[in-house]
Amino acid sequence: MSRIAVIDGIRTPFVKYQTDFRSLSAQELGRIACRELIERTGLDPALLDEVIIGCVAQPAEAANLARVVALLAGVPERVPAFTVHRNCASGIEAAVQAVLKIRQDEGALYLTGGTESMSNIPLYYSAKTQQIFAELARAKTLPARLRAFAKFRMGELLKPTVGLMQGLTDPVCGLNMGQTAEVLAKEFGITRQEQDDFALQSHQRAVAARDRLREEIVPVIPGPKYGKAVENDNGPREQQTIEALAKLRPVFDRHAGSVTAGNASQITDGACSLLIAKEEKARELGYVPLGYIREFAFAGVEPHRMGIGPAHAIPQVLRKAGMNMSDVQAFEINEAFAVQVLACLRLLASDAFAKRFGYEGFTGEISPDKINVNGGAIALGHPVGTTGARLILTMLKHMQREGLSTGLVSLCIGGGQGAAVILERE
Amino acid sequence: MITFREDNHIGYVEFDDPDAKVNVLGANALARLTQIVSDLGTISNLKAVVFQSRKPGVFIAGADIREIQSINELEDARTKVRVGQDLFDAIEDLKIPTVAFIDGVALGGGCELALACLYRVATFNDKVKIGLPEVNLGVMPGFGGTYRLPRIIGLTESLKLILAGKPVDGRKALRIGLVDKLIPSAGAEAHLLEYIHRIVEKNVKKKRYRPPRSKGMIGVLERFRPLHGLIFKQSRQNVMALTKGRYPAPLKALETIQQNFYVKRPRALELEREAFAELAITDISKNLIHVFFLMEKYKKLKLPGGEDLSADIRHMSVLGAGVMGGGIAQLLASRGIWVRLKDINFEALAQGLRAAVKIFSEAVKKRRITKAEAERRMGQITPTLDYSGFGHTDMVIEAVVENMDIKKSVFQELDGVVGPHTILATNTSALSVTEMASVVKDPSRVVGFHFFNPVHRMPLVEIITTDRTSAATTATALGLAKRLGKTPVVVKDSSGFLVNRILLVYMAEAGRILEETGDPEHIDQVITDFGMPMGPFLLSDEVGLDVGLKVMRILQDSFGDRYRPVKIFDKLLEHKKLGKKTGTGFYRHNRRARSIDPVVIGMLDRSQVHSVADPVIQKRLIYLMINEAARCLEEGVVDEPHAVDVGMIFGTGFPPFRGGLLYYADKIGIGEVVDELIRFQDQYHSDRFAPCEYLKRLKEQQSTFYSTGGVS
Repeated sequence: MSRIAVIDGIRTPFVKYQTDFRSLSAQELGRIACRELIERTGLDPALLDEVIIGCVAQPAEAANLARVVALLAGVPERVPAFTVHRNCASGIEAAVQAVLKIRQDEGALYLTGGTESMSNIPLYYSAKTQQIFAELARAKTLPARLRAFAKFRMGELLKPTVGLMQGLTDPVCGLNMGQTAEVLAKEFGITRQEQDDFALQSHQRAVAARDRLREEIVPVIPGPKYGKAVENDNGPREQQTIEALAKLRPVFDRHAGSVTAGNASQITDGACSLLIAKEEKARELGYVPLGYIREFAFAGVEPHRMGIGPAHAIPQVLRKAGMNMSDVQAFEINEAFAVQVLACLRLLASDAFAKRFGYEGFTGEISPDKINVNGGAIALGHPVGTTGARLILTMLKHMQREGLSTGLVSLCIGGGQGAAVILERE
Repeated sequence: MITFREDNHIGYVEFDDPDAKVNVLGANALARLTQIVSDLGTISNLKAVVFQSRKPGVFIAGADIREIQSINELEDARTKVRVGQDLFDAIEDLKIPTVAFIDGVALGGGCELALACLYRVATFNDKVKIGLPEVNLGVMPGFGGTYRLPRIIGLTESLKLILAGKPVDGRKALRIGLVDKLIPSAGAEAHLLEYIHRIVEKNVKKKRYRPPRSKGMIGVLERFRPLHGLIFKQSRQNVMALTKGRYPAPLKALETIQQNFYVKRPRALELEREAFAELAITDISKNLIHVFFLMEKYKKLKLPGGEDLSADIRHMSVLGAGVMGGGIAQLLASRGIWVRLKDINFEALAQGLRAAVKIFSEAVKKRRITKAEAERRMGQITPTLDYSGFGHTDMVIEAVVENMDIKKSVFQELDGVVGPHTILATNTSALSVTEMASVVKDPSRVVGFHFFNPVHRMPLVEIITTDRTSAATTATALGLAKRLGKTPVVVKDSSGFLVNRILLVYMAEAGRILEETGDPEHIDQVITDFGMPMGPFLLSDEVGLDVGLKVMRILQDSFGDRYRPVKIFDKLLEHKKLGKKTGTGFYRHNRRARSIDPVVIGMLDRSQVHSVADPVIQKRLIYLMINEAARCLEEGVVDEPHAVDVGMIFGTGFPPFRGGLLYYADKIGIGEVVDELIRFQDQYHSDRFAPCEYLKRLKEQQSTFYSTGGVS
């Protein structure tokens, strides 16, 4: 079977929400990442079989966002496009769709990626308030309008539902993502100190990796003002100290919790694109691929323990690929929450866990110097729809720099899932 | 060719001129149409007549402009116009409904024919353009347009249409009542028949002249005759603001409508006829027609030989952001080209993007494009600090700083990164393209592509070819200019190319006159009176003295003393009085007003100041340009006088009503120009006035620029 090549990828800087990218929509961020990749690879976009983009908070004004991104990025009109949503793994899902289509011989060349503008997730009104707006729109006469208008309650108008928070809440178990992290902290007895130490390490590694990360970033001069260029991720904090982290109050369980804004991933805007092709196609076009996607797996877990997703997805993908933990030279496990990564590592090291789920031979301990060596989402941020694609890109660039042949990326997925992908280079 | 056929009791008068791309109403066409219309009366049972074209994208493009150009006598004009007027009266007087079906351009006489019909039906076709652009040729509508249009769409709208000479599209035509219905172009026949059947069978009565009632203030003015004066007054002010009174045609048209709006048809048409005749014999009309033909030729300029060598341009790269690079990137993106914009730092890139977005925003404000379109086009420009994306670019335009060493190193770098077919163009305004080309492997792909500032407004580009530039490269450059909506002139590589070389000899001379008279404002006044959009010193302030001076020095190095800048220029440069960009130059520029900077006057040597007569100022400036243009022809910088006139009109705003620099020279007489230059040479003891060989030869042969066609 042909290998699946990742020809190249690029991403925008990851920028804390409501900061430098406030004016850029998800489609505009996606456009920047996709267009830049087309420019840098010199790809004739007419050769593309399809464009596949992941996005979680798909903007109302850009239905089928992938199509909008594709057209804005100069992909010809006759190349189709679709948008995928697998929550935090949407960016991986986009790549996986390309893998599946290439394996099926549906096509050989796909522009994929993820984009997210968490700054631009709208506020919503309650159903009742929406109904009053509809009445107001229908009212033809002045008295009718006044009658409708009088129904508004000031409190309702000033207290819309925050879409961002709604999106981060699981409607099945009723917990928001932070609360699921607190569940794991209690279940595994992971201390606040352990979480803060992990968070500090993420910042330190991300700060140290600035120059390396620049290899995967296209600087952005955000419109419509076109003022200063944004060259770097603005999440990593040079001056981060353990004391400062320790001072933060728990967000999700004010009294007994341990998950803080400091040891959770940041809310972030950003986009990432990957050009994926059948190996032969990549060579035919004269590309030397950055690397290859060997295998992928998705696993389901309890929604209120969604953070342990990687602990299931990783052994499953290894089994699928016929590999074991020791074959993998580097890991990226998305840092949705420090506690959730730590919980996964404990499970993977546990024989009981392996035995219970029949993962024997596919689990094991992961050395800290093999995982998230360039920092993770706690420092870099987690634009939900984008992160999956970013993990693949960051891992492949890391493998290229270090001369590694096998890497694995994984993340937990809101709603109770885990995703894992094995990447290779020769 | 005009044919008539009858189908199911509906008559079709169809235009299809086999010898031309478009239908025009020349003398022959008018005669044939007159015959057909008079025959219509003899056909019984005819229920309606449709006037339509069998040529796609065009109804009738207008009268035959050559025929207007050939009119020299008032009586000749009257007779010619009379034929059309009588014909359209006959159409108007037909007892059966008449329909003009417009699926393309309907201009001038074509529009007037449609006005004579009872109904006008147009299509959604983008090619539909309806209007009366006669004033652009220094004349006015003569086939009843000034009589019928105001009666159909009202005074305000008709004055707008006739005085500005700008046609409207189908939707606008429907909105202002110029057409009665819009139908799809595809399957138009069925839609048209349906419409005609409704007219014929339902016996719908349409009042021929009942303008749609405008709302608001304009409606009030239109409805009460004593208030019409206000409408005319406002229109007159608009015309004066636009033309500074240099163009008599719109004023004449206005006067005519002011009279014939209130009288019966025979008298109204007589007034129109008289006014048209007076305009048709003016020099200004002849000059404007000359410019029209120049424009037609150069807009579509192609290389000799039938083969189209031009390559398709989809992706371009612009080197050097800033205001100029940003402007170029904007223009390219606005025409759907993908642009890679490179500079050496983010500040410069951001400045370029800001320049581009500013132009797009203005277009959105003026509703020329939608906001979504502007954003999409803006997204076609991607900034970069490195040469990534250059490998597959079809053409590069460099707009980096005007310094030969830098340009050469840029070309060297480019040579290493672009593909084997990429065209390398420079936007230099004066540096040698040949020298830049010398550093690349394949100089056949190097060409100059010189925009004028501001890029999105100035209609000219100079395409500069070296001895090595290939025909395919030139053809692609010409194709690009056309796509960008610019008028190109092809210029052989030599110092200053064409326009700057001619213009700067005038700038240098203006400096000398300034040192003599000490009154820059007055010199500017003499030149604006001549018809230039602004005088040399205001122009310098607009462009920036440093920019002009740099080019002047390059020209001085190449051609010597006649380009030597006067001392005052250097003094201004020293004091950073560069013009608008520094707040002061020759003038002080405030937000609203500007006035001569007394400091500048103080810098002059007052002991030398004396007055120079206005005609002498004008002649020294203009005749020196004529002399320099003659040198350009002599050296083969351009191949014909037409190119000089196109360059000067579209590159510097040389007054079109004078027909162009060399057309003007021909009009005043080569002898006069040569004699005056020699007189100046003696009077000022300076060889800068010495007429060149080419000019002297023309005088000897009692020839003109245009009669020799520039072949030296």
